[in-house]
Amino acid sequence: MNDLTLAQQFSLVGLNGQDSLHGTVVKKAALRCVAAAVVLEAWLEGIFVQEGERFVLDLSKTEAFCEEPYRQLVMKTLLPKGKKAELSWWIRKASGLSKRKLTRLEHAITAPLRKQWLIEDIPGLLGCDLYLHSSGVEIKEYRTDNQTFTRITESVRAEVLEEGSITDETICMLWLLRESGCMHDLFSQNEMQTIAEKMGNLYRSHPLARQLYRLQIRRGFELAYKQFLKFKRRAVQTVTGSGINFLFPALERSQSVFIEMEAWFSNPERRLKDIKNRLESQGHEFTVLREGQIPLIKIDNVVYEAIPHAIYGRVPIHGVRLLPRRPF
Amino acid sequence: MSRQRSIEVILASEYVSIGELVRITGTRYSTLKFYTEEGMLPFEQAEENLTRRFHREATVKRIQRIKQMKAEGLSIPQMKELLAKER
Repeated sequence: MNDLTLAQQFSLVGLNGQDSLHGTVVKKAALRCVAAAVVLEAWLEGIFVQEGERFVLDLSKTEAFCEEPYRQLVMKTLLPKGKKAELSWWIRKASGLSKRKLTRLEHAITAPLRKQWLIEDIPGLLGCDLYLHSSGVEIKEYRTDNQTFTRITESVRAEVLEEGSITDETICMLWLLRESGCMHDLFSQNEMQTIAEKMGNLYRSHPLARQLYRLQIRRGFELAYKQFLKFKRRAVQTVTGSGINFLFPALERSQSVFIEMEAWFSNPERRLKDIKNRLESQGHEFTVLREGQIPLIKIDNVVYEAIPHAIYGRVPIHGVRLLPRRPF
Repeated sequence: MSRQRSIEVILASEYVSIGELVRITGTRYSTLKFYTEEGMLPFEQAEENLTRRFHREATVKRIQRIKQMKAEGLSIPQMKELLAKER
């Protein structure tokens, strides 16, 4: 068990389940946060020194810090203009790296993690969907090693939700999770209130939190997109779940996956068996958490509800729709 | 406020926090919290400082024992009974 750096820990959480072949909006947000995490890593390792209320880069220590390729990529790109700039400038600039640089950063950060078997490329879960599966479209996504993912996310949860002091790494991690939109994957609504309070207290009492928590690296366009998705989710709520998926599955393909069954009106056991066959044929890790009419399944690191569903085209197709159930 | 302790330091120290237990055992926080609240994981708590401290070696052994009992299919009351006898 090795100690991972902040940027490595965050990329294992932020990139888990993201498309590894294409630059999606969600992945770009995560990569911008990875770039900001590199700057925060520098802060944690004492590369930034406090001058009154400001944190300024200490140039004598940058060489040693930039040995890792992913650190070099971010710090060296910004160094010419950032010699006298303070921490917030560095974070803003790092998170605004060009698309090309972000792609290079993605390769630089994932390559050593791949070597340690902490992250891997697997066929995307969306590729298990009836339409994509039968048309042979290739979708790949990142999957973080299950145990490492649990260690990182649960230790953050433990530190924030437990009484007592919070470490600098967790202060940074909370901000990164907030900016990348991962917060809702890890914490329930009730827990979010506790976290909001804690972040408020930290903002008032901790110098790093005071600098960091007022920064926003989200883009206006992405914020609008997120608001639209939120609106869509709220638009339809049914007894069995919420989401527009129930009415217009075609609109919300990124959220749910449809897997057709071999038999009509099949029972829960046979349904589970069919899902298992499809997912295992695509190389996914599959654990049944709860059996029954609507089983709860853990696929890779995310928990899904398998709701019996039918698609009505020329011929009705019976199957199961996998809906993400968050937080687990 | 301080930096997180490295794994080497945690593995060399006598007492650990619940977050550090998560890091060294890979068990979920909510699970450890539940075990603690059920009295299955003993801890020390100073009056002023609200952070719970767990004796590292004994607690890690206890968590492994609980996992083993869970694999054997024992229920929580049965586990508690067995742990009380073993104490």
